[in-house]
Amino acid sequence: MVPELPPRPDKHQAISDTAAGGSAVDQGGHHHEQPTGLLRWLLTTNHKEIGTLYMLFALLMFFIGGTMALIVRAELFQPGMTFVVPEFFNQMTTMHGLIMVFGAIMPAFVGLANWLIPVQIGAPDMALPRLNNFSFWLLPVSFTILLSTLFMEGGGPNFGWTFYAPLSTTYGPPSTSFFILAMHLAGISSILGAINIIATILNLRTPNMRLMDMPLFVWTWLITAFLLIAVMPVLAGVITMMLLDINFGTSFFDAAGGGDPVLFQHLFWFFGHPEVYIMILPAFGIVSAIVPTFARKRLFGYASMVYATASIALLSFVVWAHHMFTVGLPLTAQLFFMYSTMLIAVPTGVKVFNWIATLFRGSISFELPMLFSLAFIVQFTIGGLSGVMLAIAPVDFQYHDTYFVVAHFHYVLVPGAVFAILAAAYYWLPKWSGVYPNVKLGLAHFWLSVIGVNLTFFPMHFSGLAGMPRRIPDYALQFADFNMLSSIGGFLFGISQLLFVAVIVLCIRKKGEKAPAQAWEGAEGLEWQLPSPAPLHTFDTPPEFIPERDSPSRH
Amino acid sequence: MHSLLPFGRWLLVLCVIFASQVQAAAINTSSGWNLPPGVTSISQEIFSLHMIIFWICVAIAVVVFGVMFWSLFAYRKSKGAKPANFHENTTVEVIWTAVPLLILIAMAIPATATLKKIYDTSDADIDILVTGYQWRWHYQYVEEDLSFFSNLGTPRSQILGEEDKGDFYLLEVDNPLVVPVGKKIRFLFTSNDVIHAWWVPDLAIKKDTIPGFINESWTIIDEPGTYRGQCAELCGRDHAYMPIEVRAVSQETYDEWLEEQRQMLAEDAAGSQREWTMDELMDRGKGVYNTYCAACHQADGSGMPPAFPALKNNPMMITEEGRDAHIDAVLYGRSGTSMPAYSGTLSVADIAAVITYERNAWGNDAGDRVQPSEISEMLSDD
Amino acid sequence: MLQVIKSVLAAFLGVQSEKNRQQDFQSRSPWPFIVTGVVMTLVFVLVVASVARWAAS
Ligand code: HEM
Ligand SMILES: [Cu+2]
Ligand SMILES: [Cu+2]
Repeated sequence: MVPELPPRPDKHQAISDTAAGGSAVDQGGHHHEQPTGLLRWLLTTNHKEIGTLYMLFALLMFFIGGTMALIVRAELFQPGMTFVVPEFFNQMTTMHGLIMVFGAIMPAFVGLANWLIPVQIGAPDMALPRLNNFSFWLLPVSFTILLSTLFMEGGGPNFGWTFYAPLSTTYGPPSTSFFILAMHLAGISSILGAINIIATILNLRTPNMRLMDMPLFVWTWLITAFLLIAVMPVLAGVITMMLLDINFGTSFFDAAGGGDPVLFQHLFWFFGHPEVYIMILPAFGIVSAIVPTFARKRLFGYASMVYATASIALLSFVVWAHHMFTVGLPLTAQLFFMYSTMLIAVPTGVKVFNWIATLFRGSISFELPMLFSLAFIVQFTIGGLSGVMLAIAPVDFQYHDTYFVVAHFHYVLVPGAVFAILAAAYYWLPKWSGVYPNVKLGLAHFWLSVIGVNLTFFPMHFSGLAGMPRRIPDYALQFADFNMLSSIGGFLFGISQLLFVAVIVLCIRKKGEKAPAQAWEGAEGLEWQLPSPAPLHTFDTPPEFIPERDSPSRH
Repeated sequence: MHSLLPFGRWLLVLCVIFASQVQAAAINTSSGWNLPPGVTSISQEIFSLHMIIFWICVAIAVVVFGVMFWSLFAYRKSKGAKPANFHENTTVEVIWTAVPLLILIAMAIPATATLKKIYDTSDADIDILVTGYQWRWHYQYVEEDLSFFSNLGTPRSQILGEEDKGDFYLLEVDNPLVVPVGKKIRFLFTSNDVIHAWWVPDLAIKKDTIPGFINESWTIIDEPGTYRGQCAELCGRDHAYMPIEVRAVSQETYDEWLEEQRQMLAEDAAGSQREWTMDELMDRGKGVYNTYCAACHQADGSGMPPAFPALKNNPMMITEEGRDAHIDAVLYGRSGTSMPAYSGTLSVADIAAVITYERNAWGNDAGDRVQPSEISEMLSDD
Repeated sequence: MLQVIKSVLAAFLGVQSEKNRQQDFQSRSPWPFIVTGVVMTLVFVLVVASVARWAAS
């Protein structure tokens, strides 16, 4: 864990020996008498298999959470209580948010990290393979518990993904303790995953690869992992306080007992704001890998990108109360959080400028991963710009808790983070499966997704500005048209994702054009030296890395 | 190829939207697309801040996307573009970092000024304490010794689609908040249960109401009119059903209204002494029931078991023995369930009426009456 | 030391030239950068806070 740069070759040897060796004792065993069937997946310590598990889990959750979103959109298709009752509607919005954040987006990124970080830094596996297995298997347990609350008396969580007290404590449904347990498990999983990623990146790089020679995806994940370790314990703390309030008579958040409901929000958003960056930084890394490949030009301002990421991460700790502009903070605090939030937009903007400068005077082609990445840049920028509008505290009095905010964070998360994840899948699928994703299906998936996602979320800016509060199952008549558009778009987007499943099934079945080791003409990085599909065990001996030739920051 | 299908719908729905703008504009000062400029100097300042930052964002988007799409077009590989080999330029980077920074600083200055005005609640003419309840608002005119609840005015039949929806669907209340124009009104916000948020777009006030805390805000309304809003913080089941209606009137009308309210209060107080007839009780009880009880127990008393028990044929409500338990449940609620206590919410006449109604409606045949005097006696005993 | 502060400032803005970056990464230990980064974050918070305080008064 001592971050020395550059790591000395002999140290790398020693550590990779224990990692590959320590686990290699059992891994060595796996070579010969590998368990088959379910047990193989249950017991695997291989980073590629665990990565695959994470991603398939994320995909499953994406569909479960997506179905809930469609129930919400079906109710909102027209004004009036038309489809479900308000109690159930609230459970659907809450579960949708929780599942998408903790069950889909985060595990998808961890899955990508598992698959890619070792092969991008020339390591034989993650530093702590058994811990890796444990972190993954906590997730199905956690989300089984979470989903089971829907069938308990009083129903599942119905207080929004931000679970503000006292709605979630004194007034919460009886299943809330199970919700807390599920969040604890998911949190432990994230922390362990983050520890593993940091240990891997700092210790297992191939000789001569200095930190500043790492691909940006590795960099962004390194910083994300530190963010995770810093804020997941805060989440654990706040849900533990809830647990005590609910079951042991404390009153952290209960005003009647001298507690403070606003304290809950400070704690939640101290976790929550860095959390939203946790969900976007790895996406920055993905796009920074794909854009140069298909522009056939090196990333513009590699060093600046690294620095901007670090800067965003640090600043993200001092902006949390921009989610609380209406709780009645003192004027000075209000101003502080307004200024700091406006400042964080600057390094975020720098990222976008760098990608565009990378495109400038490149030689650009439009393969599937590139299409998704370009759509990411445009759509993420729209979300970033509405973020700047939200940062202006006095105006946020009008935007807060309306569909304008819903539009903002869905733009950064769905056409943003989710598109980046899809881009990553299309980009690395040849390496994972050995065949290229089907182009016809992929194109249909791309265009339908772009149309669907924008049709869903763009009108939300208007319904929000016109005055529609978020999290309501029924609304006044002047919002009807925008909601109808959003619902149509939502179903279009949701159903188009089945095409993605078809693409993946074809790849798994090896139906498609065989991919060579260097699957994309302009791609750089150690992973492209491996055959496609990458064998289960790779880089048992560290690959050669010459910074002057291989580093993304070389001259 | 695939894009044709949604495109047709786009056009269709766009036409519908244009057609409906007239109606949207009639409800508040919003165009139906955008924030309302509102009817106070603060709301108008906020509106112009909003438009400035909006156009700045549009300008940035045009430049950024312009350069991006132009690059995509001009440097296509299929047109034989050869990649250049630059990947750094510190000057350019400093410029594109400094420019947004300066724009934001320029934005921060007027925003700070507006915020300071919003925070200046001094020298108010009228103080109104707004308390959030699940799921209604309570208004207390601090200087007038006047207070009342404000409930959703839209009938359930409209919500359930049994009847056409009115123009102010979900934005109408039984007792609106009435205030005079041209006076500085200070609002104090708190809550009785969970966090709510009191939001009226035309006044540009959105403030959380938090149990155990008091928040402040203020307004001076220039134009008489009715300004509507909604609860903006998720507060449980009926979060969508606690609208706000502010009626701004001239000082004379306001004074008349105050007088009327005082009279009604006096009548109510007198009413709690006298004997009420069955018809009077049933009539009043039905109104109270539909406002306060029907959301859970349903208009026909069938409830939604197991969460919300049926009242029709409920043993408590058709027998003499159940009478005390029935009154107790309405007055003090049922802890551990979502049944609230109404002793602090409803007047004694309302409570007596609604209990009588529950005992004699939908085929319930207890046949007895509960008198307001009986309730006030019970309450003064505690 | 000045170099370290300059680099950390550059990091806050997210802009750094390759030359300076090369120079930074010649140094053997990252600790000066980490410590300076944390200190500068605190300084940043204090500066923004005092601007807010001044603006509020
Ligand atoms: C330019 C950068 C950004 C700025 C200035 C910004 C600003 C804001 C502000 C002020 C809010 C609070 C709005 C309100 O509730 O009234 C907000 C909400 C939110 N933002 Fe951003 N944002 C930015 C980028 C992002 C990114 C990159 C993400 C995630 C990937 C994100 C995710 C969210 C989420 C999830 C919420 C709402 C959470 C909730 O209330 O449920 N934002 N943003
Ligand atoms: Cu935030
Ligand atoms: Cu409410």
